[in-house]
Amino acid sequence: MADELTPQPPPDQPRIGVDEWVASVEEKREQYSGPIGRLRRWWDQAPVGARLLVFVVPAAIFPLVTTEGNLFRYGLITLIYALLGLGLNVTVGFAGLLDLGYIAFFGFGAYTYGYLASGHSGRHWAAEFAIPVAVAVAAAVGLAVGLPSRRLVGDYLAIVTLFFGQAFVVFVNNANRIDFPFVGHTDLTGGANGLDNIDPLKVFGWKVNTTKEYYFFTLGAFVLVMVLLYLLSESRTGRAWRALREDPLAAEVMSMPVNRLKLLAFVFGAAIAGFAGSIYGAVQTGAFPGDFDVGLLITIYAIVILGGAGSLAGVIIGALIVNGVPELLRDPNEAEWVFYTTLVLLVLIKLRPWRRLAVVVGGTIALGFLLHVVVGAAWSRGTAGEPGEGALAHWVSHWMLLPSHPTQIANWAYGLMIAAILMLTLLKGWWRTIAMIPTIWLAAFAWENLLVVQTAGATRFLLLGALLVVLMNARPQGLFGTARVEIA
Amino acid sequence: MGETKRLLELRGLNKSFGGLACLQDLDLHVDEGEIVSVIGPNGAGKTTLFNVITGIYPPDDGEILLEGKSIVGLEPHEVTNRGVARTFQTLRLFLNMSVRENVMAVQYGGTKSTPFEAMLRLPRARREEREIRRRAEEKLSFFGQRLVGYRWDQPAYSLSYANRRRLEIARAMATEPRILLLDEPAAGMNPTETHEITELIGKLREEGGYTILVIEHDMHVVEGISDRVIALDHGVKIAEGSFDAVATDPRVVEAYLGLRKAQTK
Repeated sequence: MADELTPQPPPDQPRIGVDEWVASVEEKREQYSGPIGRLRRWWDQAPVGARLLVFVVPAAIFPLVTTEGNLFRYGLITLIYALLGLGLNVTVGFAGLLDLGYIAFFGFGAYTYGYLASGHSGRHWAAEFAIPVAVAVAAAVGLAVGLPSRRLVGDYLAIVTLFFGQAFVVFVNNANRIDFPFVGHTDLTGGANGLDNIDPLKVFGWKVNTTKEYYFFTLGAFVLVMVLLYLLSESRTGRAWRALREDPLAAEVMSMPVNRLKLLAFVFGAAIAGFAGSIYGAVQTGAFPGDFDVGLLITIYAIVILGGAGSLAGVIIGALIVNGVPELLRDPNEAEWVFYTTLVLLVLIKLRPWRRLAVVVGGTIALGFLLHVVVGAAWSRGTAGEPGEGALAHWVSHWMLLPSHPTQIANWAYGLMIAAILMLTLLKGWWRTIAMIPTIWLAAFAWENLLVVQTAGATRFLLLGALLVVLMNARPQGLFGTARVEIA
Repeated sequence: MGETKRLLELRGLNKSFGGLACLQDLDLHVDEGEIVSVIGPNGAGKTTLFNVITGIYPPDDGEILLEGKSIVGLEPHEVTNRGVARTFQTLRLFLNMSVRENVMAVQYGGTKSTPFEAMLRLPRARREEREIRRRAEEKLSFFGQRLVGYRWDQPAYSLSYANRRRLEIARAMATEPRILLLDEPAAGMNPTETHEITELIGKLREEGGYTILVIEHDMHVVEGISDRVIALDHGVKIAEGSFDAVATDPRVVEAYLGLRKAQTK
């Protein structure tokens, strides 16, 4: 016993790099295998400028290769959402504050810009003055909200800010008939009808008119904010934010004024939201109470969480998916591609080892053709349906059953598919692999006969929801987030 | 001894939680360049003592003087900026940040550039950033072969337990303190590592010039490092003096082993 307690001299050779933990982490790195792993490793090593270019170059070329007006508009809205996501990323991703009133700051930006430059108010400020004022107002409101609530943490902060977000909607609905002392009857927001006739942006004499010009302006704004935020995150403030997200008490004891830093993150997020809001107001040429409600809040949260909280690159990908996928799904032909690509990718990524992959892919294809032959011979109505337009739909019609009056059958198939998916979660091992074959076939059947017809309506949201569920299951930390270790 | 300066002095410190008195009328002082150990059985109030000194809990009563100036009522980060840094008994690293970032982040208090200077990379921000990085590397290098360069960019959670303790000490050093408070630096370490910690604490004073107040259970460590030992029991100082004097003090033996055992001995 005494022998054990006696300190022994350190061994002659220091044992560098034989630490169990270090070894296990290296192993985890190695586990980035396959094409996705290679991509990830490349991404991790690439210099920051190159990573930015990967996004900016396609975004800048996009308007030059497309001619469709609508696409610009989606691109523009995606950019504005991404910009909003950047701000929320500061509050939620860097500092870890659950801010549910975030959209109100977006609204303050839009309304302030509209108040300073619109036919409604009769003022026509140039954007280089109006936008800074809008940003300052949003930041000031952020300060006013954050000051009393900064000591609140977690759930309590969420409640306070959620209340603030709702109060904002009520406020703009009613702020068209306020009687100020000395000033008299004032119309600040246009009430339920909103502020209309907002001026287009006019920056240093450059009138931003067409959607294409707005697109480039917003792209420039986005890149600017992104670069500034990157520089900020690699500074003492950025590190302090991340530290206080990790462990507020340790951060406080280690010389960081936690409360002040939280407030700063809150105000930064609000300012960026205000900036995005003023652009949005000009793009929409109006600001309406309905635009700044909980729905948008959820969308922006989905963008940030899907991309990976704390990751700047993730915000872009998140915005592209959350905003782009529903638009792609609008057209049945494109929706067809999205559906089958997702299905194939999912199977390719999730199924290991390759034997299972081969069984599932081969089995599903064989099952389809088999059923096509059998049903076609026994029950002619079963294959009498019309394939959709487009090449892919044409190919699929040789494989999939397309009954002539499919609604009733497809409804049943849809219910059966959900049951099959639930069953899958209960099965293990090879049973699961085998059960996947009819499940995938059923999903394709329900898609071809029921969902593809309604892509412009319910389907796209259903599919987006399913996509989000799958993605968050596969990568809870978000696409670009790093898995966080809470207690090691 | 008469020439040495009082660096930290506690006078009549009281702290209780509800009816439970954790520190009672405690007087304690640490002179410049000294290594003082605080010992005592579990629940004696040792960690509470650290929490009160660093401002996490305000004392109910009493004075805490750092170089003659009161630090009572300051927020923890202000206490740290005055020159008191601590480690935690239950490690509290920023686990998902890299080793280097851990040591860089805590230099917040010692730097001044604003977010705007950082975003525009103005001269002061750039200068401070270089300085932060240099200092982080300097502090990490203090541990020599035990915390070598290739680990600096790994996340803190990937470190072994012993290395996490070293990183906590490096992090405390990076705030440029006058006095280091080490809360059980040898807890959970094997005999070899414990021996190293003993040497390290000596080295911290000789080469780093720190004054050190340390809580420790391992008596070999306490014996090896202490200029002076203070024994606490139920928040009361029951003995103070050299290691040999305190270790054989009947009241200390009683506090650790119980009354009857102490008498039969």
